[in-house]
Amino acid sequence: MELSLSSLKNIESKYLQPNQTPLNQPATEHIADATPIMKIQHPSTIKTIPLEHSLDERPVVAVDVSSIRIGETETGVLCAIRGAIVWKEKNRYRYQRIGPFPFHITEQNKKEIYKLFRNHHFEISEDPRAPSITNIQARMGNLLERWLQLGISCSAYGTIILWDGSMTAGMVDSPVDEMSRLLEIARNRLSIVLAFSKNTTLRFSGHKLTDYAEKAEPPCLLQINDFPSSSGPIILLGDVYVAKLTPGVCSFRLDIDRKVPRERGIEAVQSLLRSDLLVQSYPETLRLAHIFSTFTATEVIGIQRFIAQQYGLKIVMRPNVRRLLFGPFGKGAEG
Amino acid sequence: MRLYKKEGNSIQILSSPKDDVEKGDYLIVEDTNVNRKLITQVIDVQFASVPGLLEELLRDSTTGEQIYGENFDPLGVSSHINHIQDARMLLCKIRGTILNDKLRVNSSWLPSRSKSGITKISINSLLAHARGKEDLSINIGETKDGSPLNITAHDLDGRLNIITGKKGTGKSHLSKLLVLGLVDYKATVVVLDLNGEYAGLGLSAKGGGNKYSDRVYVLTPGANFRVSLSQMGLSVILKILVHALDLPGTSTREFKRIWKSLSQQGKFTLQDLGEAIRKCSCNMHVRDALFSRYYSLVNSGFFTDDEESATSFEKLFDETRDNGGALVINLKDVSSIDRQIVLEYTLGNLVKLLNQWKIKSVFLFAEEAHLYLRETYWDDIVTRMRHFGLFTNFVTNQPDTIKENIYRQADSIFLFNFTNERDLETVSKAARVDSETVKSIAQELPPHHCLLIGRAVKDFPVMVKVRALDIKTMGQTRLFFTNTDS
Repeated sequence: MELSLSSLKNIESKYLQPNQTPLNQPATEHIADATPIMKIQHPSTIKTIPLEHSLDERPVVAVDVSSIRIGETETGVLCAIRGAIVWKEKNRYRYQRIGPFPFHITEQNKKEIYKLFRNHHFEISEDPRAPSITNIQARMGNLLERWLQLGISCSAYGTIILWDGSMTAGMVDSPVDEMSRLLEIARNRLSIVLAFSKNTTLRFSGHKLTDYAEKAEPPCLLQINDFPSSSGPIILLGDVYVAKLTPGVCSFRLDIDRKVPRERGIEAVQSLLRSDLLVQSYPETLRLAHIFSTFTATEVIGIQRFIAQQYGLKIVMRPNVRRLLFGPFGKGAEG
Repeated sequence: MRLYKKEGNSIQILSSPKDDVEKGDYLIVEDTNVNRKLITQVIDVQFASVPGLLEELLRDSTTGEQIYGENFDPLGVSSHINHIQDARMLLCKIRGTILNDKLRVNSSWLPSRSKSGITKISINSLLAHARGKEDLSINIGETKDGSPLNITAHDLDGRLNIITGKKGTGKSHLSKLLVLGLVDYKATVVVLDLNGEYAGLGLSAKGGGNKYSDRVYVLTPGANFRVSLSQMGLSVILKILVHALDLPGTSTREFKRIWKSLSQQGKFTLQDLGEAIRKCSCNMHVRDALFSRYYSLVNSGFFTDDEESATSFEKLFDETRDNGGALVINLKDVSSIDRQIVLEYTLGNLVKLLNQWKIKSVFLFAEEAHLYLRETYWDDIVTRMRHFGLFTNFVTNQPDTIKENIYRQADSIFLFNFTNERDLETVSKAARVDSETVKSIAQELPPHHCLLIGRAVKDFPVMVKVRALDIKTMGQTRLFFTNTDS
């Protein structure tokens, strides 16, 4: 919050140019989207693991974070991030929304903001290279998400913790040590982390990994044997499965903490079948976390108004270059 | 408030929830660069179509018994988001422009969207721009901003007005207010009172007389309102026979002959007339027809041979000449046929007196006129009679009983609440206002509030809460379930 306020106080611009990307298009880069492409070079067989409904009902908690670009000033970009935690207890869902936190990021302050944000979240002191202004909003969103995940790992006990994305570590926002720590804390508190990816870049024999679940009988997991656990600096901290938990067209990449015995991981998924509502193989708790964190167009306008009013900015629409050049053919994102 | 769109004479203004603007309010769109102002009236208030609102509402609707939680929003951004959600779009109609402080009826000018300022304007300061003669003011009540709204008697003088609205909204009350307002300025008013509601005009609410008691004359046909044949010219009696009693043509010709004969003899009693019909050497069927009409006249109780007790309109009008007055013709408990006889007599006599310049002009207030006014009178009233000095005010809760051309020619309409679309459709045919205004505002008028349209308010439709009057309420509906203890 303080970081948000201090970044906004340094706005030297008089104008706020709203973002021209259509508001109904996703403007965020998420942890899941940031996962690098890992092609499976030498895959072995795919094994189907049928699941049974467990009698063991456990608390379920999910975390998701959204970030969005709000607009530009003369000196930088304005963005906002918001996190949502949803947990299910005794057939009721509860949520806690954190934010929105608007930020003004310039070339001058981006490194400092990113460093402060990162150091606050991660117990590492190495000097990170701040991302470009274009990507920083997504990076900050990712850092907030890791922070919320850490908080959940530390506070939940015997709980199924749902992440949006994968357990891929070794990237700038997911240092291996920190990611391992998150999982270890959860393990020590008898919780287990299940990470659901809506989009996976993993392919097997040219086909998307999730395509292999089309003919599988739900509820089941597709286990990829001999899946490589690392590729250069990238390390997968989880065992990778394809989860088809209910009838329907959808299936998802599911990462389960590699250090948890395989049987316990499968038991956790079976427990999830009993503990949470599943629609199109996706847990309701995680779906709600996504819904509560996502920014709607109204909220973007509201945040623009907040910034304009609090910091005396005038909202102006700069000419759309694509529209100017190509007229009705100038569709799509700026660039 | 920001100007958003203009199409024809409609404009849309984006407004914040804290702007205190409601239906019926007037707004000035001022473009200082060209020193011009656009006068607009809000006819509807809608939610602004904000992108993403549906998602927002759907998300909020998921919270409830099964899903609940809280928001940690230390910066208070959510209040701004709520503000956007509640943003409103004001649908307005352009009523005119002010150029160099002069009012013009012109909606073709387009003010600057980015530079124009929008402010609320009070009704009275708006009307001050438009008003000519300020004297002879009649206080109707108060506007939404609490300031008194006056019209002038000049705006009723020589005009055709309609007071309409559904039952129980306050039409008759306003009608009484206008009657007494005119009487205040020494005007002569004739009220055709179908339900005996105006009989208490001269009485105060607490009982006893009020300041109008010596200027209100309640005439009850058959009781204190009887006429003699000698007062009547041939034209008036013929109107009664033909229009009220449907006398056929041949019989009418025979009656004319009988009347002329009686006239030469100077015999104008009912008995003389009956005797003359009996002795008439005409076809038996004609005689029968004349006799049946004769007995209708006799049985109505409206006619008398006693010249002393006969009511003379001329004398009554003489009494109202100096201080004005209201002649209330109480048609309550009068049968349909007798009502038509009385009406034919009254209107025929009025036209006769106006024609002879024995009276200068008369304001006629007709309640539910379709129940007693014959078809041909409608056009007569709005065209010919107006030039003689008979200025009509129709009061009705069935707007479709008044012909369309009456609406088109109406100078002012006092419109009370209507919920029925068809009723509003009928009223919206009035030439002095657009149908959207009528339909949008009239549907939401509370009781005793009316929308004034037309000349009385210089063509600026105004919502007004009609003021109370210190008069005795008459004509209340008799109820079965009344509290007998109190």
